[in-house]
Amino acid sequence: MSSLLHFSGHQHFRHRLVLSILSGRHVRVDKIRSDDKNPGLRDFEISLLRLLEKVTNGTVIEISVTGTAILLKPGIISGGAVTHDCPLSRSIGYFLEPVAMLAPFAKTPMQLTLRGITTDENDLSVDLFRTVTLSHLQLFGISDGLELRIKKRGAPPEGGGEAQFLCPIVKQVKTLNFVEPGKVKRIRGVAHAVRVNPQFSNRMIESSRSILNRYIPDIYLYSDVYKGDESGKSPGYALSLLAETTTSAIYCSEAISKAGVAPEDIGLEAARGLMAEVNLGGCVDRKHQILVLLMMVLGSEDVGRCRMSEPTPRTIQFLRDIKQFFGTSFKIVPAEHGSTQLLYSCYGTGYVNANRTLA
Amino acid sequence: MDDRPHKAHRPAQSGAKAEKKDKGKGKEKQKGFNEKAFAPKSGRRADRQGRRKVEQDQTRLHVPLVNRTPDDEPPPVIVAIVGPPGVGKTTLLKSLVRRYAKQTLNDAKGPITVVSGKKRRLTFIECNNDLNSMIDIGKIADLVLLMIDGSFGFEMETFEFLNILQSHGFPKVIGILTHLDLIKKAATLRDTKKALKKRFWTEIYQGAKLFYLSGVLNGRYPDTEIMNLSRFISVMKFRPLVFRNTHSYLLADRLEDLTPREQVRTSQGKCDRTVTVYGYVRGTNLRMGTRVHIPGVGDLSMKSVTVLGDPCPMPDADSEKRRKLSEKKKLIIHAPMSDVGGVMYDKDAVWVNVPGSFTRGNTDVPQGEGEQMVMDLQDVGSTLEDAVAKSQIRLFGSSSKNLTVDTNMDDEEDDDEDDLDLDSQEGSDHEDSGIESDSQEGEDGEDDEDRAQDPRSTGRSSHRSGARTLPSSSKKQRTDIEYAESDSDLGDEDEDRDVGGRRVRFGEDEDHDIPSDEDVEDDEEEEGDDDEAVPRWKRNLADRAQTSLASSRKSRRKDWTKLIYATDLTPEEILRDTDREASDAKDAMDMDEEDFFQIKSRADNGEEVLDRSKEVWSAEELKKWEDEEMLESIRHLFITGEDNPGGGDGDDGEGGASGDEEEGGDSEADAADDDASPADPEAARAAALAAKKEALKRKFDEQYDDPEASKLDFYEEKKDEMARQLALNRAEFEGIDAEARALVEGYRPGQYVRIELADVPCELIANFDPTYPIVVGGLLPAEERFGFVQVRIKRHRWYARTLKNNDPLILSLGWRRFQTVPIYSLDDHSIRMRMLKYTPEHMHCYATFYGPVALPNTGFCAFNSLSGETPGFRVSATGVVLNIDRSVKIVKKIKLTGVPYKIFKNTAFIKDMFNSALEVVKFEGANIRTVSGIRGQIKKALPKPDGAFRATFEDKVLKSDIIFLRAWYSVQPRKFYNPVTSLLLSDKANWTGMRLTGQVRREEGLKTPLNVNSTYKRIERPARRFNPLVVPKKLQASLPYASKPKLMVPQRAPTYLQKRAVVLEPEEKKAVALLQQIRALRKDQVARRKEKKDEKRAERQKKLAKEEAIRSEKDKEKRKEYMRVAGQKSKRAAEIEEGGGRGKRRKT
Repeated sequence: MSSLLHFSGHQHFRHRLVLSILSGRHVRVDKIRSDDKNPGLRDFEISLLRLLEKVTNGTVIEISVTGTAILLKPGIISGGAVTHDCPLSRSIGYFLEPVAMLAPFAKTPMQLTLRGITTDENDLSVDLFRTVTLSHLQLFGISDGLELRIKKRGAPPEGGGEAQFLCPIVKQVKTLNFVEPGKVKRIRGVAHAVRVNPQFSNRMIESSRSILNRYIPDIYLYSDVYKGDESGKSPGYALSLLAETTTSAIYCSEAISKAGVAPEDIGLEAARGLMAEVNLGGCVDRKHQILVLLMMVLGSEDVGRCRMSEPTPRTIQFLRDIKQFFGTSFKIVPAEHGSTQLLYSCYGTGYVNANRTLA
Repeated sequence: MDDRPHKAHRPAQSGAKAEKKDKGKGKEKQKGFNEKAFAPKSGRRADRQGRRKVEQDQTRLHVPLVNRTPDDEPPPVIVAIVGPPGVGKTTLLKSLVRRYAKQTLNDAKGPITVVSGKKRRLTFIECNNDLNSMIDIGKIADLVLLMIDGSFGFEMETFEFLNILQSHGFPKVIGILTHLDLIKKAATLRDTKKALKKRFWTEIYQGAKLFYLSGVLNGRYPDTEIMNLSRFISVMKFRPLVFRNTHSYLLADRLEDLTPREQVRTSQGKCDRTVTVYGYVRGTNLRMGTRVHIPGVGDLSMKSVTVLGDPCPMPDADSEKRRKLSEKKKLIIHAPMSDVGGVMYDKDAVWVNVPGSFTRGNTDVPQGEGEQMVMDLQDVGSTLEDAVAKSQIRLFGSSSKNLTVDTNMDDEEDDDEDDLDLDSQEGSDHEDSGIESDSQEGEDGEDDEDRAQDPRSTGRSSHRSGARTLPSSSKKQRTDIEYAESDSDLGDEDEDRDVGGRRVRFGEDEDHDIPSDEDVEDDEEEEGDDDEAVPRWKRNLADRAQTSLASSRKSRRKDWTKLIYATDLTPEEILRDTDREASDAKDAMDMDEEDFFQIKSRADNGEEVLDRSKEVWSAEELKKWEDEEMLESIRHLFITGEDNPGGGDGDDGEGGASGDEEEGGDSEADAADDDASPADPEAARAAALAAKKEALKRKFDEQYDDPEASKLDFYEEKKDEMARQLALNRAEFEGIDAEARALVEGYRPGQYVRIELADVPCELIANFDPTYPIVVGGLLPAEERFGFVQVRIKRHRWYARTLKNNDPLILSLGWRRFQTVPIYSLDDHSIRMRMLKYTPEHMHCYATFYGPVALPNTGFCAFNSLSGETPGFRVSATGVVLNIDRSVKIVKKIKLTGVPYKIFKNTAFIKDMFNSALEVVKFEGANIRTVSGIRGQIKKALPKPDGAFRATFEDKVLKSDIIFLRAWYSVQPRKFYNPVTSLLLSDKANWTGMRLTGQVRREEGLKTPLNVNSTYKRIERPARRFNPLVVPKKLQASLPYASKPKLMVPQRAPTYLQKRAVVLEPEEKKAVALLQQIRALRKDQVARRKEKKDEKRAERQKKLAKEEAIRSEKDKEKRKEYMRVAGQKSKRAAEIEEGGGRGKRRKT
């Protein structure tokens, strides 16, 4: 049957699991923090495995006694209504990302409710996921009924947030041909402040506008208010910004509250992060390289092209893993002479959602 | 007067009349036809005509499908010749080959590829009568020549084959009627043709093409008829079939065993083999890393794929100019399993057919290629070793240089020989003289290598045209051979490389900055190729990384593809390198980058690195944006900013889209004296400008010409989109070299490849028979997995028996043929899937089985037996895949029964339903029912008799009632999967899978075990006796009147009415007497009437009997006459049958 793929190290754990489930190949990961003082899988990784077991049918996960090695025999992606409590060590974004890659190929539309921290500094916050990641999925024809509902906000460390992810299923994703980055035409943003003075969000917006206002007039920064039970268990605030271009490429950035930092500085940090992203250019920002590349590989047997900035280390490893799982490699050439942007093109594998039921 | 000749009419040459006439004619011609003449007379009619036209237009449309096969060099069209035995398939094959290739085959086996036209090649394959072959052929054939014996009619195999085709996507079918010369009478011939055509049309479609081949001349069909058929074949258009458009496949036209001989010897031929198959890639791109399935063998993994030169190449450019295919091209034929030109490649020997008597030295008879070859071999005086030592070998007669061999090359050659050559090894086993066999081995080995590596080689020397000079180094030559054919441009690149590792161009070329990465690539290839056993990218990694790094630094541009896929640098290292370059370019960023990466490197040293998707910006990076200038510098990235960026910034790229023309001129002038670097952006800018102008012009044209025309309907739009995508697919990887291209997009359809398969069962080689097709089907990732497959199935209406649940069934699904055990079910009110014992008649049902997964919407057909001896129609069911899962929920009904042993008002104690209190607890609250329909509920287990419980009912139950509980028991399909490994058998037609229990018992002579408790006995139901109800006297006394039993003793004494006497009055007496008289009269009358009627009836009966007798006499005579004629007829038929002497047929 499908041959076993072998990896070592705890890094890139998520996308290896995702690729395994999509391609149906068995995966063995060992030496997971074997040299660490606290060896083995962390609680969030275990939680992720549990989540994947919930959204699939027939998945067999074997974890070694020490927890430093796992064997994954993937089943089929079943989807449906699933509820999962995320640990407080990672935010909801950590779990949403792999699920977003799997959900379009499930048997039934996914309705996933996740509880935990909605915004932290490591993973995409629910705001960015809703505004940016989902629009990247829409590039591939995954659009009808695609939604993320932020029921409750939950700031670290206590969390208490809740988000519901609704994703339709598709037969096959569309081939992407996205080479014109265009120019930034609008900037949007969401500022939220929970269990702190609601003025904080206005202060963040003010300060970030001081940078952004010089470029274009079409700037709307919303202040998203959550009260009472909906505002989670811990105080916190954050600002997420996104810039959309004429060809609807999206760049985004985010800054969240830190101890001893004024909201104004958070606003400035977010705005400067956005400027840095805009400067890098391309059609897809760095946070979504992996998602876009994966969907390009899974497209029909045609050439997909996308222009992006240089790959991040994660992306590089992802490209290598893709080669192992799907046997597909990308052609990566500079988009233009002298440009730092690269043109990624690949021949789709013609991946068809085999889980989908007929009639 | 009559004989005087008439003066001829002279039309006016000038004047009004002449002009008028001219004008009129011209007008008519201009218009084409008179519109008024064809205008509909009535509005209704016009409406109807209009509607009909629209309807016709719509029927013309088909769902647009992408055709994955490239148009420029498509693989040969597979033409399968199918029919029952003795119908003339081989004769047709030979006739067609003769028509196309002008060669006569004696032993046509396996696929035969010929060039049929300037843009088309055909692969003919004959399908034998085995059902397995028919299935495999049905899955790959593009065109089926379905042969029907006209003198006999349709046979079972024909219909079976059509049903197989139907379930796997219907290719084009041309019917061919043969043996029509056996029908002597013209009228019968006409009727037969008509009847067969009608039946054929109902099977395929109305108007399907049916050919008639009359007799056989010189062992072939008449040339004119074959020519007509070939014309039809060559203009045939093909619509892509969905399954073949999503899978890559290959019809193997050659098979070779590469297993080391020693290993075969030590294992007595039982070891798994390494086998290569050769063929054209079809369907979609074939990619490394996927697995393949060979129907009849199993799933195999590809060890390597190599593109070989086309053995049957399409006519090239020079002959393209001709209207017709040149005669020389017509001779090309590729049929490794047949005896083309008298040479036949068997699996372990080469046979040379020599016509008549053969003597060596007889030069006046023209020698065939094979003879020539053997004679040359005999002429060789020294062994290969000697020859190599003298290095006098030339690969080709036309080679200008000799082959040089160095030492490390030597063992490689040995390897190759071991691998490639069966023939030579076998040859040395023969008891020839040592020298001769040796030399044969040598030559043979060389020849084989040629075949494997020289793409032009067709297995014959006459058409080899690859007269290429060999470079001095043998290592290089190997590279050369491997790549040269796949990309003709590479030839000059090699030369460039020889100059000094980097391409140099001179004055006449424009001053380009030439990226050296191509060279690096070439170098790497070269290194990578000298040993294929180790994965290319894993060897010499460090060296290669260094060189590539160095070169990239030199060129200030890195090859990302190479860095990512071909090195094992960590991602951080790859990036650090870039940034080092970047730091060269931008001094300002230097500090930040270093800092940034210090963090990363610290992470490498064992710090916890979080799997985070949010890329953090370092503080310095953010700090940069505090600078106003920096903020201003990206203004051009916003719509409000100007188009061209502030000078000097390296990071812009898209700004140049609208550079002014005079600027362009300036920069061109700059480019002249400056270095190559600015030339490129200028050129790009010019190109962009041109493109923009072009787009604007097109837009204007569209709007100006016809604004309506630019709006396409949905159909056109879709087709347009597909065409655009296909163009992009073609264009995107056009430039890159063949190997990298194969890495990115796989092997394209139309390429001739050699696939090395690992771990092939030895029986495939041992029992190889070229008349059975070998299909290599690519599998999608999903199809390698196993699971429960739910299908919609319908028993074939021609299959005689119903299908039973849990009986094994042989399915042909996807590429595979396998036996499995399905469970049939039906959807019960959308609540549950309920198991069925048998498939329903004339209705679809569901079936669920365990097996390899196929994508939903894949069709399949099922058989109960594949053997040829099966009487009747063998396709037992057809259907389509609906769903794939890892678990199934199918239930069957189960009824638990119990009896009440104690009854209260509405409560009863029930026993005998369960065995323990635990079971009762599980069913607490469940609904139960009595046979008479009283509903109830299980309440609680009782302690005393085990499994007894208390239940309540809506009414009082009787002691005699049976209580039952209706429940659902889930059934799982058996995990049984048995691939039909027919190709591994020596007797390929007789594969046996799992047998039914009944079959096993019958064959083993076992009796069916009989459980005594299961025997049917006579049911005895004794009449129930009810005792009379007795109410005690005392109780009766105390009851109220209404409740007292109302029992009365029957009266014994006669009543008054019975006792009294009746005396009539005189009037009454009279009346009674009168009435009596009247009655008597009436009676008499009736009796007389009846008598008369009887008489009349008897008379009539007599008359009828007479008539009947006459009629029966006549009938008898008629029947006699008929039987006499029929008897004569059957006698004649029997005589003909004996005379014909053809094989036994199964009549439809």
